[in-house]
Amino acid sequence: MKITILLCIGVSLVFTVMAMAGDQGVTIEGAKRSIKLPEAAVSLKEGPGMDTTSRYCRICHSLDYITTQQKFPKARWQGVVTKMIKTYGAPISKENADIIVDYIATNYGIGG
Amino acid sequence: MESKGVSRRNFIKTVGITTALAATGTLPPVLYASERRLVTFPEKTELLLLTSSPPQLETPLKYFRELITPNEALFVRWHLANIPTSVDLDTWRLVVHGNVDKPISLTFKDLKKFEKISYTAVIQCAGNGRSFFEPPVFGGQWLNGAMGNVTWGGVRLKDVLRSAGIKSGSMEVVFKGLDKAVLPTTPGFLKSLQLDKALEDDIIIAYEMNGQSLPMLNGFPVRLVVPGWYATYWVKALSDIEVIDKPSESFWVKTAYRIPDNPCGCVEPGTAPKKSVPINRMTTRSLLINPEDGTRLKSGQVTELMGVAFSGGYSIKEVLVSVDGGVNWRPARLGKDIGRYSWIQWFYPWQPAKPGTYQVMVRATNSIGESQPLDGLWNPSGYLLNKIEKHNLIVI
Ligand code: HEC
Repeated sequence: MKITILLCIGVSLVFTVMAMAGDQGVTIEGAKRSIKLPEAAVSLKEGPGMDTTSRYCRICHSLDYITTQQKFPKARWQGVVTKMIKTYGAPISKENADIIVDYIATNYGIGG
Repeated sequence: MESKGVSRRNFIKTVGITTALAATGTLPPVLYASERRLVTFPEKTELLLLTSSPPQLETPLKYFRELITPNEALFVRWHLANIPTSVDLDTWRLVVHGNVDKPISLTFKDLKKFEKISYTAVIQCAGNGRSFFEPPVFGGQWLNGAMGNVTWGGVRLKDVLRSAGIKSGSMEVVFKGLDKAVLPTTPGFLKSLQLDKALEDDIIIAYEMNGQSLPMLNGFPVRLVVPGWYATYWVKALSDIEVIDKPSESFWVKTAYRIPDNPCGCVEPGTAPKKSVPINRMTTRSLLINPEDGTRLKSGQVTELMGVAFSGGYSIKEVLVSVDGGVNWRPARLGKDIGRYSWIQWFYPWQPAKPGTYQVMVRATNSIGESQPLDGLWNPSGYLLNKIEKHNLIVI
């Protein structure tokens, strides 16, 4: 509880400083316009297979692609992981794919 | 260590799920595996975070109390994580090539020499409202914030195409932006339109949103605007237009963004369609924006219910409101009609006499009779959502 409160204060302080910068995160040099994207900071739940999932499933996108889904059974997650490999070319071995499917179904899906 | 952990969250302000959802006014049928947060991205106000890379951010519903959605509040949706974060207009070019008489390469100044067109149009993601699908489907779990109403300014696509000269035998026009996949094995985000569609008067290459340049995250410097159609065709950071003489092979047209090939674009929940077609025109929708779902009102006091209604390019003829769970329906007053692609605001003064929980429902019909179903129609990708929404208002 205490930690949460402290963290919140910390976060809002940093946030105020950023907001005061007032540049809305865009830089203009002559005809060139640039932005700097905030870093993705998604952490997965601890559990067997977390490292493997975290390593492979953030090659192409942030891990919130997993954590913001609704609860689906394991077979549906199997389908998603297969799609990542077959359709989008995710370089994941069969062995690692099984570890990932188990991890996601257990931690973000319905049942094991 | 401690300070590093905090600074990594520089832009990301954590807000509890209750706060974030209260701000949007509607609760999904199933809660997400994680909390939703409000975040600030460059050139954007606080938006609801769906994914951070590629960025997918949705607009809190409170912005839809206004007729026009501010640029800084418009939703963000990219598919591939290598999105353009820097564009130099001195070196930027828009090329038109393929089955044309003479390929052209336009500078930003060249492009602006074509006649300027401007109109207000709803932009809506094909998967807007996907989180309300029952049974649920995979894909971005959008609430209703993947939409907005913007005044677009730009040049006609057909003028640009004609200046390159379309050769006979042409079939489709393919659009590509500056975004790229992380790995070369992932199909690039190419979208295409049939030639006759591409030559319609109202399709523009937009360089202005509400009179200003586009935010980088909404496709600076130019994006395609296909009014009345879902935003999947509104290619952001458009840089390459190719005229082709055969159907496009792009994954994002041939396999993704497809709907069942039947009048409702729907199938029995949990089943796959036998035949599918590329998604196209938007379905008719109406939303209650104010007061938000779950708001407490005083009995005897007049509250003006308000919201927006729109359809895929046909003006809204009628908006009906029910405050008794769909038993009785009465017409709402419609706001100013600023064109068939814009949404229209609706207003309904309501004076509840007795305390209780009231189920409020809204239903729009457009000028060709298209309306909204009471129960959701289902398709495997979670597109076209337009079921009549049910909000509870509590009168005390
Ligand atoms: C080779 C690149 C790549 C890798 C690696 C990858 N994905 Fe994806 N993923 C994609 C692309 C591309 C999309 C579509 C993005 C969009 O439309 O926003 C996607 C979308 C998704 C979606 C949304 C549903 C859908 O079908 O669009 C989920 C869930 C997902 N990925 C999970 C995973 C998981 C789990 C892993 C690890 C096994 C993973 N991804 C690894 C490329 C990849």
